[in-house]
Formats: sequence, C-alpha cells, structure tokens
Amino acid sequence: MTNTTDSRTAVHARSLAKTYGKGAAEVRALAGVDVDFTQGQFTAIMGPSGSGKSTLMHLLAGLDSASAGQAFIGDTEVTGLSDKNLTNLRRDRIGFVLQQFNLLPMLTAEQNITLPVELAGGTVDRDWFATLTNTLGISQRLNHRPSEMSGGQQQRVAIARALIAKPDVIFADEPTGNLDSRAGAEVLSFLRRSVRELGRTIIMVTHDPSAAAYADRVVLLADGHIAGEITEPTPEAVLAALDSLRTLEVA
Amino acid sequence: MFRLTLTQMRRGSARLIAAGIAIVISTAFVAITLLASNVMSATTTTSLAARFADASFVASTTGPQLTDADKAAVQAVPGVEAVTGQATTFQRLDNAGRTVFQAFSPVVTDQRLTPLRLADGAWPSQPHQIALPASTAERLRVEPGGTITLEEMTPVLTADGTPDPSGDWTTQPVTVTVTGTIDDPLGAYVQWGGMGVATAGDMERWFLSGGGGDSTAMTYEDLLIALAPGTAASADTRAALVDAIAQASGTDADTITITTPAEHAEQVAANMTGGQNVAFLVFGLVFAAIALLVAALVIANTFQVLVAQRTRMLALLRCVGAGAGQLRRSVLLEALTLGVVASAVGVALGAALTQLALTLAGGMNLGVPLPGHIEVTRAVVLVPLVLGTVVTMVAALAPARAATQVAPLAALRPMDAPTVSQRAGKVRLVFSLLLLVGGLALLGFGIAVASDQFAGVDTPAEVAVLAATAGGVLSFIGLILSSVFWLPAIVGLAGRLVGLSGPTAKLAAANTLRNPRRTAATSTALVIGVTLVAMMSTGAASARATLDTVLDSQYPIDVLVQTTGITDDGRTQGIPATVRSAITATDGTGPTADLTSTHVTLSGPGVDPSLAGETPFGVFALDPAAGRAVLNDTSLIDGLHAGTVIVPRGIVSMLGHDDVENGDTLTLTGQDGSITVTAHLTDMEGKSFFVVPSDMQTLDATAPLDTIWVSLADGADAPTVVPALQDVISDTGASVMVEGAAVERLQFSTVIDTLLSIVIGLLAAAVIIALIGVANTLSLSVLERQRESATLRAIGLSRGRLRGMLAIEGLLIAGVGAVVGVVVGLGYGWAGSLAILSSMSTVILAVPWTHIIAALVVALAAGFLASVLPGRMAARTSPVEALAAE
Repeated sequence: MTNTTDSRTAVHARSLAKTYGKGAAEVRALAGVDVDFTQGQFTAIMGPSGSGKSTLMHLLAGLDSASAGQAFIGDTEVTGLSDKNLTNLRRDRIGFVLQQFNLLPMLTAEQNITLPVELAGGTVDRDWFATLTNTLGISQRLNHRPSEMSGGQQQRVAIARALIAKPDVIFADEPTGNLDSRAGAEVLSFLRRSVRELGRTIIMVTHDPSAAAYADRVVLLADGHIAGEITEPTPEAVLAALDSLRTLEVA
Repeated sequence: MFRLTLTQMRRGSARLIAAGIAIVISTAFVAITLLASNVMSATTTTSLAARFADASFVASTTGPQLTDADKAAVQAVPGVEAVTGQATTFQRLDNAGRTVFQAFSPVVTDQRLTPLRLADGAWPSQPHQIALPASTAERLRVEPGGTITLEEMTPVLTADGTPDPSGDWTTQPVTVTVTGTIDDPLGAYVQWGGMGVATAGDMERWFLSGGGGDSTAMTYEDLLIALAPGTAASADTRAALVDAIAQASGTDADTITITTPAEHAEQVAANMTGGQNVAFLVFGLVFAAIALLVAALVIANTFQVLVAQRTRMLALLRCVGAGAGQLRRSVLLEALTLGVVASAVGVALGAALTQLALTLAGGMNLGVPLPGHIEVTRAVVLVPLVLGTVVTMVAALAPARAATQVAPLAALRPMDAPTVSQRAGKVRLVFSLLLLVGGLALLGFGIAVASDQFAGVDTPAEVAVLAATAGGVLSFIGLILSSVFWLPAIVGLAGRLVGLSGPTAKLAAANTLRNPRRTAATSTALVIGVTLVAMMSTGAASARATLDTVLDSQYPIDVLVQTTGITDDGRTQGIPATVRSAITATDGTGPTADLTSTHVTLSGPGVDPSLAGETPFGVFALDPAAGRAVLNDTSLIDGLHAGTVIVPRGIVSMLGHDDVENGDTLTLTGQDGSITVTAHLTDMEGKSFFVVPSDMQTLDATAPLDTIWVSLADGADAPTVVPALQDVISDTGASVMVEGAAVERLQFSTVIDTLLSIVIGLLAAAVIIALIGVANTLSLSVLERQRESATLRAIGLSRGRLRGMLAIEGLLIAGVGAVVGVVVGLGYGWAGSLAILSSMSTVILAVPWTHIIAALVVALAAGFLASVLPGRMAARTSPVEALAAE
C-alpha cells in the first residue's frame, strides 16, 4: 500500500500509462501520469482533443485497464482488480455523470436514481434522497420517464443517481456536452453545490473553459502528460492556459 | 437504392438469420408435405400395378360387373392363354385360441396373373383347402398340412335339409387344410395385411354368402389376362377382347376397357387421389400453414426492429433526398431477397430430408414398394418458394410503412435507444373483438347442438363439428389479433410478481414492457404453438377418458375364457382345473372370477307366458366380490346378492310385451329346483342372467365351470399378456376359447395416442420457430440496448446479473406465452371435445397434466436458452461504451 499522500486525497494516480496498438501503430494515450485529487474538491481535467483526458478518467474509474502504473480510489488500488471487484467498486464507491445522460428509458426518474442502491441490495436513505431531489429541483418530476423530461432535467436525474449511494468520488464526462448553455450552467452549479454543500468529490472531464471555471481546480493535460494546473480558475485563465498548450503543441 | 439495400443486408445479416431460419423451417415443411404426397401416390400406383403381376391386359368395365360368362368369353379369344377374375372376401379363421380375419382371392392357373409366390407347401386344389400368408400361418400356429377352423356362412336349413324360406344365414365352423404358405415379394397386398388363396369354388361360395341374398352369381372387379407366348398385345387383340366381353355380357362396348397393367394402375391411382392422398395433403398443409403464420410473426418482428435501428440512417437518407417510396421499396426488397433465399434453402432442406427418409425406409425393408428417389415436380419447388417469399414480404409490409414515416429531422436529434411503441389501431381492436365474440358464439352453438343431439334432438353431428370448428378458428384468430391489447398487461403482471425477487428481475420486467407490441408479437408466436399442442392433448385426454367409460361398459372384462367343449350327453363341459392354474401362473394377470352356468326357464310378470317353460335362458353364477374385483365397470353387477337376479337390459325386450322392470319378481326353474328372485336391470352385455353361487346351488347343484373372467394386472401390456394366455391355455389342450377384449380396448387408446403424437410432432415445428423468435427478439434488444447495458455495467451491475436480467426477460416472454397457450388450449380442447364427443356419450373433461407440464418446461427452458447467446453478447459490452458520445 503506497500511502505517501495526504489523508484527504480521494483519488490518485502514480505513473499511470496507457498505450493502444503495438509496434509502429503504437499510440501512447497516457504517458505515466502522477496526479492527486483532494477530497471535497471539484476538479476539472482539461486538454485538447487527444490529450488523454478521457483515458485518464477511464483508468481512474476502473472502466479500462492500465498498461502500466497504478490508480487508487482512497486506499484501494483500482488497477489490477478483477471484473467482479471493479463492478462492486463502481457500484459502491463511484458515481458517473455522462454526456448522453444514460438514463434507463423504461424506468422512472425515481427508479433511475435509486437503481445503484437497489443493485447493491441496500435500502434507500429517504432523507438523502429528498435532499438530493430538492437540491436538484427534480422532486416534481420523479414519476416521469426520461423521454418526458428535458435534457437538463435528465442530466440532473443522472447527477442524483451518481450521488445517491454517497460515493467517494463522482466522475463527470462532458456533463454539459449535450445541453444548451443555460441548462449547462444549471447543471454545473448543481455539481458545485454538491461539492460545497453536500461535501462530495467530483472529477470532471471537459473541453469547455467556461465549464472548467466552475471547478475549484483545473488539471491540464497535453499529449498524455500533466501540463499544469490552475487553482481558483476563471474562464479567462483557463482559456489562456489552453492557448499556451496549443502553442506548445505547434512548437 | 438496390446497392444500398444489399449493403445493409450484409451488415445486418446476423440479425436476419433468425428470421431466415423461421422461413427455412416452414418452407421445408411445405416441401416435405408435397414430396411425401408424391411418394404416397407413387407407392399406391406401384402396389396397384404389382397386383396385376405380369398380366398382358386388365379388363374392366363401368357397366354391370364382370361375370363368369365374361371370363369364359375372354378365355375363348384366340391367343389368350389364361384368365383370372379378381375378387376378394374376408374370412374368420380360428386356431389355438387365436382369431384372424384374412383376405382371400382365388387361386390362379397361370403364375403370370398373381404377384403371390409359394413360400412352402402347395397351392390349394380341393374344396376346403387354403394357402395363407406366412405371417398369418405363424400367428395361427399352423404349418402346411395342418388344419384350422374357418367360420363359413351357410343358409339356415329347415328340418328336411332345404334352405329356410326366411333366407337367413348362420355361421358354421368348418375345418380347412392349410396346403401352403405364401410370400408377397412386391408388397402388392400390404394394405390388406397379406392375401390368402382359396379354390375358385370355395371363393364363390364365400362370396355369395358374404354378399347376402342379393348376389346370385360370382362377379369380379376386373379380369387379368395372360396371352400365349408369341401373341402380340396389339390393338387387334384388344378389340377382340372388348367384343368378346360386350357380346357375352350384352353391354355396350364403350363401357369396357382393356388396358395394360401399368395404364390401369395409373387410372385407379388417379381416381384414388380424390381420397386418401388429398386428405394427407390437406392435413400436412394445414400444419405447414400454422408454421408459416408463426414464421410471419417472427419476420414482422425482425423487420420492425431493423427499421427502428436504422431510424437515424433512414432519416439521413430522407435528408439527402430519398423519397418515402424509395425507402419502402428498399425494405420490401430486403424482404424479397431474404424470402427467396431462405425459401430456396427450405425447399432444398425439405427435399434432402425426404430423400434421406426414403433411403432409410428403403433400407429397412418395410414390405412396401417405396420409390428409390423423390420426384421433384414444379409444384414442389414453386409452391414453397412462392409461399415463403410472399409471407416474408407481407410480414415486412407494416415495418416498410414505418420506414416511410421516419422524419428527416430524426437525423438531427440526439440518438437514444429506439422505441417502436406505435399504438395499435382502433380498427384492430374492433375487428378482433368481433371475431372473438362471433367465434365464441359459434363455438357455443356447436357445443349446444352436439349436446342437444345427445339428448335426442335430430341435428346432424356434422353441423355441430363444423360450427364448432369454424367458431374455434375465428375466435382464435380474434384472440391472436387482440393479443397486443391484453398480452402486455399479463406480461406486466407476471413481471411485477417476478420483480419482487430483486432489482435484476425488476429491470427485466421493465424491459419487457418498453416495447409492448414486440413483446406481444414474440409471446403470441409461442401462444399459437402451445395453444394448439395443449388443445390437441386436452382433446385426446378428454376423448380417452370419455371412451374409457364407454369401453368399460362395452368391454367390462379384460379377458374372457369360455369353454367350447360339449360332453357326450350334450351338456357343457366344464373348464378343467389345469386351465385355471395356467391362467393364474401367467405374468400380468390380476384377479379372476369363476362363473358356472346352467339353463333355466322363466316366469313372472312382464315375461311373455308363451315363453315360460319353453326357451331355456342361460344363467351364470358369480360371486359378487370376485366379480367386482375383475369388472372394469362394477355398476354392471350392482344389486347382485342372494335373492336377486341381474337382468341385462338388452334382453328385456325379448322377454315379452310388458317390459320387466327393476324390482319385479321372477321365478327361475333349473334342473334341480327353482328360485324366486327380485330382478335388477343393468347395462350388462349378453343374453344371460346372473345369480349368486348359493342360488345356483338350488337351480343346478352340478353346474359346470363355464367361464373364467380374467383381469389384467395394473400396467400389464395387453398385447403381450393376451397372446401369452392363449399360448398357455392352448398348451393345456382344453376346449376353451380366449377372447381378449383388453386388446381391442387398447387399440382405441393406441389410435388416439398415435394420432396425438403425429399432430404434436407436426406442431413442434411451429413451437420451434416461435422459440427462435424469442431468441431473435432478445438478441435484437441487446443490440439496440448496447449503451444501456454499458451504463448498467458502469453503475455496478455485474456481468452475471446482466446475463441474469436477459434470462429473466426470456423466461417472462416464453413463460407468459406458454401459460396463456396452455390455458387457451385447455379451453379449446374442452370445447372441441364437447362438440365432437357429446353426440356419443357424456363427455369427461380431462386435463393432460404430463403434456401441460412438458409444454411449460420446454417453453421455459427454451426461453432461458434463447437468452444465453444474447446474454453473452450483452455481457461482453465494456462499460466504457456508455461514455462514448454516439
């Protein structure tokens, strides 16, 4: 157990690498990354297309297997877990918010939200459920099916689903990618509120500087390497940092 | 557009395979039916031709039947060497306690005129000589040179030996000598169970007696003619033969035909196709049609899903300028291609299977002249091909229309899992309800007519059966059409029950309801097959239960052993004790009952006084307890105890004008004394009375043991035990006769069972196609739910539980289909039994538990199996795919 990190670290990676293909066709998506994500913080991972930001998230969340290095959720090493243990890890300790919302069309909003708890065989914490749905403003829509809700509402249901089991960390992959700017702003505010008011840890992958500005900290990725970070970001600062990355690429 | 369609088909070929298999199975079914019908015709023609052996000509007539005069006239025609007339009669033969009814034809003078060959011994040449098929001789335990008993009909004679003026006939056992045994190498008489040969004189006597008082001279079906060697079978010879017969019979030459055996066989076979073969063809095609209907449901489902999956691409095509008509044609073209290819495979498969069956059967030497290879006619190829293609295209019509309704805008919307939840139309609801209600009314009418008829109202039984059949078919079509309205509700209910067991089951239940129409169609395909299987089993079980009660009273005793011996003083000779012990020692026999008998005269109210003291009646003594242990229907001896007499209802009318009634007092007088007893009427067969042994003692203290009733042990095999009994009893050398009603009884059950297994075998094709449909629906669902499966994996559903979810979906769809099918099938089975059997007897409605449980188990197992492959496919989905942005 490598535990050289701060006890408040929720997720961390050590020399995490991922290569696709072999020989001449080999692509290094992630080239040995060391990164820590603090508990109770909202972190954005940014970078140009192909910088490896999605790969980093997949590896941290145990959705994909690493070629080398280690990833940890709390003290648990994710890399090297069996499929069964990974499934349980995802069920109990990770929440996902995805670009396509990914709600199950045959279930109502409420059934979608409580599904992770039911899959774990637990009982739903009704107070927590009420807090979540009230905070997210979806308590009136609980009996609707996804097809009867707007994109913003669907994404808020997805956030509630990610939070219901009080996971150690929530991974959000372009959560505003399919939303208009107003709905997108709402969703981001909710994510920030769930960190500030509900004490959650969120790691969000995005390519939108204004989305990243909602985070407490921005980790910049380029060519599979950590290329810097910004704390207390503003859209302008993020944009400037991205621009400098692009210049770097050209150079 | 055509190229695009083919590209799509190649890409989606895996999805079309299940639909293809459905078409292959059903078209193969059609092809096999047609081919088998051809084989049957060919076999009939061959065996008919075989009967004419090597005759040069066959003479037949449409006028009065051919007579001995015609035969003589033909014999006189120059060049004719031999003539024989074809005639057949059946005779009852007895030996060693066994009875055989054997067909006989006259012995021929020229071996060219018969397909039969001597296996052993000689042809009969004297009266009361016969030759028997080797199998019959073996069954009767007789070898050439031995003698057996033949029941010959003779006129009733008056005291002076002249025929009684009444013209009545009576049977007379005569002893005949078996001169030889016969082979039938060409299988010409397989359908007759072989052919025996007797002299022309005996044949004529049997023929005339069998024909009753009408026939006064021997007539023949046709004449077989053999020409002398070197005589040409020319047109001149034919004309001479026609003239000879026309002159001899005094009929028009036009009514007489002279043909070669081959020509004649073809003519006769062509006339016969009106009957047996057409019945077979219709029978087979009905089941093929059921298979096709189920296949159509599977195909329609497949195309519906294909169109739904392609919504985005179809919308794109609309965006770039494809017309609605072009899209419709594209889908129909796909259906056409699938239909033609799959039907062609089906025809080839059907032909291959039939050929294989023929080859195997040919190697087994069944004694039937089977053709060596199948005859592929144009109909055999075209009918299944056209049927399969048309059914495929018709099934694709609705999905094709759905394709045209895709809005170009759909291309621009974010893609979610496609849904095909079209709402079913009102027209369909009304139409199906009309069919259902109308059909059920007609069915009810049929049943009412049938039971009225039993109660005495004179309506032909056919009306009841026809009305009930039409009503059943119509209401079932209505039920199937309306299934989209009620089946999802049942699936939902079942799903809610299953959902109680946990979140995986709850997910599965929710999945089955997302596309109610597709779930309904998939389940319905199974409902059709299972309903028909359940209906047939229920009908058969009810028929058997009903017949059992009828047979119990008709054949109340399994085996009857009766003395045939007469003592020198003309009394009945009792059955010796050796027979008794032989019976008890035989495996498979149960309790037995001894009956002594004597003759009595009768007097009492209701008995015609002129009968009293004149005609002796038979009386049996039976111990009531022993009788009840043996009888299948104990009500026959209800009321038998000391001081009563059982009177069979059948003889009441013989006793006098005032019918004897229950409770009447009768006086029976035997050789040693008389008893006065109370009459008790029952449905006992026969013409004898029954009393208890103590009363018999009064009537006749030395009454001989006349009859032993033998029951078979539970589970004993009648066809094995009865011949075994006959063997041991004939070994004792006693003069007794053994009658095994149990064998006859079993034959009824066997006929029902055989028919049932054939029908269920044929229906199995429909059930298999429906189960392929379940697998198809599940795998298509998996394909279109890839992202959902990935999401479920991402939020913590293990691979095993994902597979479990699909297994529960499969079980739900199949289980509901099977349960509904069983319930509906039970209903129709009972309704059918009432409509068909009510006119014969009180119907007993039975439940065929074994078949029902088997149907449910098979359906559930298949529903589970159907989920295995799709489940593996779904479990392979990586959770990363959930994150992929389209």
